[in-house]
Amino acid sequence: MTSRSNRSDLPGPPKRARRGKIIPATAYPALARHFHARELVRVLRSEDAIARAVRVVKLKQAELRGAVLDHVARMQQAAQAGDNAAIYQQAHEIRGFAATAGMRATGRIADGLCKYLDKAARSDAAADPALVTLHLSAIARGAHAEDEESRWGDQIAEELAALVARTLADLNVSATSPPSA
Amino acid sequence: MNQAVRFDDLKALIVEDNPHMRTLLRALLNAIGMTRVFEASDGSTAFDVVRDRKPDFVLTDLSMMPVDGIDLTREMRHSPMSPNPYIPIVMVTGHTERHRVEAARDAGVTEFLAKPITAHNLYTRIAEIVERPRSFVRCDGYFGPDRRRRREESYTGPWRRHEDIDDIALQ
Repeated sequence: MTSRSNRSDLPGPPKRARRGKIIPATAYPALARHFHARELVRVLRSEDAIARAVRVVKLKQAELRGAVLDHVARMQQAAQAGDNAAIYQQAHEIRGFAATAGMRATGRIADGLCKYLDKAARSDAAADPALVTLHLSAIARGAHAEDEESRWGDQIAEELAALVARTLADLNVSATSPPSA
Repeated sequence: MNQAVRFDDLKALIVEDNPHMRTLLRALLNAIGMTRVFEASDGSTAFDVVRDRKPDFVLTDLSMMPVDGIDLTREMRHSPMSPNPYIPIVMVTGHTERHRVEAARDAGVTEFLAKPITAHNLYTRIAEIVERPRSFVRCDGYFGPDRRRRREESYTGPWRRHEDIDDIALQ
């Protein structure tokens, strides 16, 4: 999101500005005016609802862990085929719900791999196969580890993230650079 | 513990190609008493559900095939077939790269929620769209929620963009 700047070299207001139109929430069918809006917000902010939700997530964790392992297997197949796009797709799925499955470090490492592959692709640079392999290995080991949520998992995730950051700095990719064609 | 409240007249649509995420989101909405939760596995079927079921808000993933969350959002904001161009849309996605977030913002999503989700974060986003509905902005190249949470009426510049809206007229 852009933020305002106080730089004096910025242009002033345009002479012939286009006029936009603001439509306030009172002028369209906003959910705030629903009959149960106030009660819904009360429930959403209640400790009871959070406690119920935590129980729901715990009940689903075994299913989610199985799903993460499925994606890890597909990611390894993609690696054997040398298909970085497919690796990215599987890592993207893993980062989306590994932490919810109780596999926080696995999700962080998958996120780091996705960010690296995304920026390498947008800069038209070849992804370093050694770096990709390192991440794949860490993801696979983490997903199968019984102590996945230990401090070792977090430490590995941090060290891999630092490695990715250094590699991306070498690629000299700006976060705001336009995507490659 | 008090019996959970039910919101049988509130409707939500979950648009997500991962079946595990769909069931998780559904379970989290059920946990707050929402019983009318519809699902779609991509943007193309989602638009049909929006048109037929008229949900009160939408939780959508970003990357889906053949129609992704960005195109779905644009469709819901701009299509003459859209039953509610003002519908609250929360994009729930693992894509947190800046260019993705900006694309979602510029397509007209109401809120953005990064995966992995927590119940607290999801419920907070839904509470936001209920408690603090955004004004909508219509101008060249954009129709959708005001992309700023806070607008200072007294701000007189400097302006970052030539196309900044100047002297916005209230309807």
